[in-house]
Amino acid sequence: VTTFGQAAEAHLDDVYAYLVYFTGDRSAAEELTGETFERALRLWHRFDPRRGSARTWLCQVARTAALDHFRSERRRARREEIYGRGLREVDEPRFAEGLSPALERALARLSAGEREVIALRIVLDLDGPTTARALGISPTACSTRLSRALEKLEEALGDHVAA
Amino acid sequence: VTMSQPDPLTELRANRPVAPAALRDHVRLLTASRPAPPRRITWRRGLLVLAPTAVAVVALGIAVRGDGTHTRAADQAVREPAPLTKTPAGTVTVPFSAATPQAALGDRAGVPSNSGKRLQDYEAYLRLRVKDGDAVSAATQRAISVARSLGGYPVSVDVANGGRDGDATLTLRVPVTHVQEAVARLSALGTILGERVSIQDVQGGVNAVDRQIARLQRRLRELRAQDPTDRVKRQIEALTQEVQRLQRNRAATVRQARLATVSVELTTRRPEPPAKSESGPLDGAWTALRWIGIGALFALIVGGPFVVLGILAFLAWRIARRRAEARLLASS
Repeated sequence: VTTFGQAAEAHLDDVYAYLVYFTGDRSAAEELTGETFERALRLWHRFDPRRGSARTWLCQVARTAALDHFRSERRRARREEIYGRGLREVDEPRFAEGLSPALERALARLSAGEREVIALRIVLDLDGPTTARALGISPTACSTRLSRALEKLEEALGDHVAA
Repeated sequence: VTMSQPDPLTELRANRPVAPAALRDHVRLLTASRPAPPRRITWRRGLLVLAPTAVAVVALGIAVRGDGTHTRAADQAVREPAPLTKTPAGTVTVPFSAATPQAALGDRAGVPSNSGKRLQDYEAYLRLRVKDGDAVSAATQRAISVARSLGGYPVSVDVANGGRDGDATLTLRVPVTHVQEAVARLSALGTILGERVSIQDVQGGVNAVDRQIARLQRRLRELRAQDPTDRVKRQIEALTQEVQRLQRNRAATVRQARLATVSVELTTRRPEPPAKSESGPLDGAWTALRWIGIGALFALIVGGPFVVLGILAFLAWRIARRRAEARLLASS
């Protein structure tokens, strides 16, 4: 039987990586990771290993926390009238150490939803059905979303090479 | 998906973000300081247990109540004489009992006694089974003998004897002072299939007639003291006739009350067995299932539209939430 401590130790990096790609902001991902595990600790009694792995369940909790974060950010942006300004350009790596600047910029041009599916399927290497369950969509929709995200990523990389 | 060189997917996998040490320490501290709360009973789990339990309790309750009522009624029929029922008109009736044992009447415990001081209209009914047509004839003769030996007489006798089968209906009049003995002796003529006793108090009516007669007689005395005009004479004549009519009625009521009417039915036919559905250990279960079915159908009819509306509202809410989520993620 997996304890919460074991699950947290084993999947902390997964949750963090997912949130980094999802939010596109490493400091926000750090905060959300901490919040995710606090929520997960409170909700651990609801975790049912027969319905999915601890990693998938933790990603679902992280997703809820991230969506709440996006909603509050949008409200804040509206209040501060900076909504629509888009993602800020940064010099330091936003996603991961070691990524090429071209890939960093290409990822930054993707939406949160597109980065999310790349994070789950490519970075965390979850299978299609598990990713679909984590996102609350059908496996077909998940596959379509991944294809579009990768096409967009390739396109963005092509634009960078051409430039 | 094919990608241009360098392969970004390989690059993404090779450079997975790693949680900073501070975040790792924070999570470790979190898990160490606060153990995960124990698994609680959720409402869904509780419902899964409570719903069948409630249904089982209701079914059991109906089943036990149904069986219990039947058992109590049967016990009462066997162990006790049928209870008396008083009606507003002063009638006391022992209801028909299809299973009253012979002992109940044989020891006179089941036959209400006549009140010695008040005038009462006493009626008793007995239904007896005898073995064959000859026994019907013999029992008829003995019943008449019983009535005569107690100072009574037969009012009507109707005997139909077909040899093997037979029926007889007797109406006997016996003095109310001997009615208990008469019923006890008559009930010994066969196996009792049913009995009924009805007692109606007529003393109140007789007293009222007495008061009315006394009033009319006072009025007569007053009229006779007056001058005997034609009008007074006609009044005296009318009142005299009314007094005589009332006195005849009173006398008839008193005569009626001095004798009890005992109706006896003799038959060779066996009583029909009770309906199968009224007995058996599964009756309660069927009753419970029927009521549960009725309740479920009622709930379906009443709650169905609300359930459909609820489902539609939930689906609409989920679609709206997903669209809002998609817009949120597309703009973030």
